[in-house]
Amino acid sequence: MSQFLQVLLSGLATGSIYALAAIGFALVWQAAQTVNFAQGEFVMVPAFFVLIGMGFFGMPFWLALAFGLALSMLVLGYAFKKLIVEPILPHGGITLIIATMALAILLKETVKESYSAEAQPFPALFSNAPMNFFGAAVSIQDILNLIVSLSIVVVLTLFLNRTRTGRSMQAAAQNPAVAEILGVNVKRMVLYTFLINAALASLAAFLITPVYLAKFSNGETIGLIAFIAAIVGGFNQIRGALVGGLLIGVLDNLTATYVTAQYRAALPLVLLIMIILVRPQGIMGTSEGRSV
Amino acid sequence: MTAPVLSVRNIEKRFGGIRAVRGVSFDVHKGEILGLIGPNGSGKSTLFNCILGQLVPNAGEVAVSGRDVSGMRPSDLNKLGVGRTFQQLSVFPRMSVFDNIILAGQEHRGTMSSRLFGAPDAGLTQDAERMIAFFRLTHLRDELAGSLSYGQQKLVDAAMAFMAGPSIVLLDEPAGGVNLTMLAHLKDRLVTYNAEHGTTFVVIEHNMEFVMSLCTRIIVLAEGAVIAEGTPDEIRSNQTVIDAYLGG
Repeated sequence: MSQFLQVLLSGLATGSIYALAAIGFALVWQAAQTVNFAQGEFVMVPAFFVLIGMGFFGMPFWLALAFGLALSMLVLGYAFKKLIVEPILPHGGITLIIATMALAILLKETVKESYSAEAQPFPALFSNAPMNFFGAAVSIQDILNLIVSLSIVVVLTLFLNRTRTGRSMQAAAQNPAVAEILGVNVKRMVLYTFLINAALASLAAFLITPVYLAKFSNGETIGLIAFIAAIVGGFNQIRGALVGGLLIGVLDNLTATYVTAQYRAALPLVLLIMIILVRPQGIMGTSEGRSV
Repeated sequence: MTAPVLSVRNIEKRFGGIRAVRGVSFDVHKGEILGLIGPNGSGKSTLFNCILGQLVPNAGEVAVSGRDVSGMRPSDLNKLGVGRTFQQLSVFPRMSVFDNIILAGQEHRGTMSSRLFGAPDAGLTQDAERMIAFFRLTHLRDELAGSLSYGQQKLVDAAMAFMAGPSIVLLDEPAGGVNLTMLAHLKDRLVTYNAEHGTTFVVIEHNMEFVMSLCTRIIVLAEGAVIAEGTPDEIRSNQTVIDAYLGG
């Protein structure tokens, strides 16, 4: 029982970090009706911004985290929206999706060539010491990662549902033409969405990189799992992305412990196929009509 | 004499070689309910979109209460007291009726910080409750707008258009797809609101019974140009209109 609890909590902790990246997929989908296939790299890059802050500018870790967060919001939020999304979106969603794939390659190769191809150690935010949790030995890092990730999701949900700006952002996502007529500054709301996505990706990076180490190829795995998590949970719902992330994190850990670790990489794909066959809108998602 | 609430002068809109709107001019005065009718393709919606800044006309000017608003963005026009409803459903489907109504009024209030940290209802709860009650939507207050019937969503759309206290509202086919009971209710609410608040309406509509009984003056468009203007009775008996639109 204690082993099950340990595996469950560890899975929830990892899954909650996947959820942060998956929520980014949902946000960008709602704001721009496109899929950002560079999302995984958006989680990889901020870790290197932090390492640059510490290594090149001699910043203490906490300041480097703030530097990484700010730079990510500037580059992966503002610049991404202004230089890639805005000019390319009028040419169609598919064109933009292909552009994000190219961006993923660009970011990956830039980090590899300009920083290092080797995995870099990344300081942990929380101690990795074990603690006793109802008889299970669970690392403090896992518990705090879970708490921090879920807190971020709660704050984001409260922001979107309980503030006027959040309501305007939802309106801009659900019906931009009408929102504009009602006085909502739709362009600004879309920009906020991209800034929040960059911030979520950065926070996911700060939590997960101590476990995976900072490596140029991290985005491939994280991006794929977060994408699947968003589809499994429901691409058009933040709570769906949360459920998808947690589910994949837990199932991954349970399978690796109780079945086999050999095929754990296949699990998200199996889950994806099952969901697409049984409930294509995702566990929490709602179907969206498309006319041709 | 006070300036017209809405003044449209020589609006011209071309799409390639097609002249969708040909030098249309008219004034609308405070408290008037003006109908814009005409066959499909006569340029009514294009004219609406030019007035509201959603299309840029090739020529002409639009003024609201004497102020030139040509080329102004829809969101800025809204702040000047111009509201509109849409031909297609225009509610926010994954928000409650109450949140839809609040949203329609909140953009006129507050500062950047109050948008983040101020009351989420922007101090509009009482106004929203009144508007919901006025359109008899109280029993649907907390329902998701997307779950309502078509007619109910049209009522929410109308309530949203009035929430910011506009001086003029442009209604694009409010009767389209609405059943007879709901239509009578919608007309009753529009007439009552007009009488109580003196709000000016411009209505595009194909339902002749609805438009003739609602409007005080009617302009008829055909092939992008005005072919007749007058009271509902004058329009009914106008031979040019009968030939071009109303039929035998």
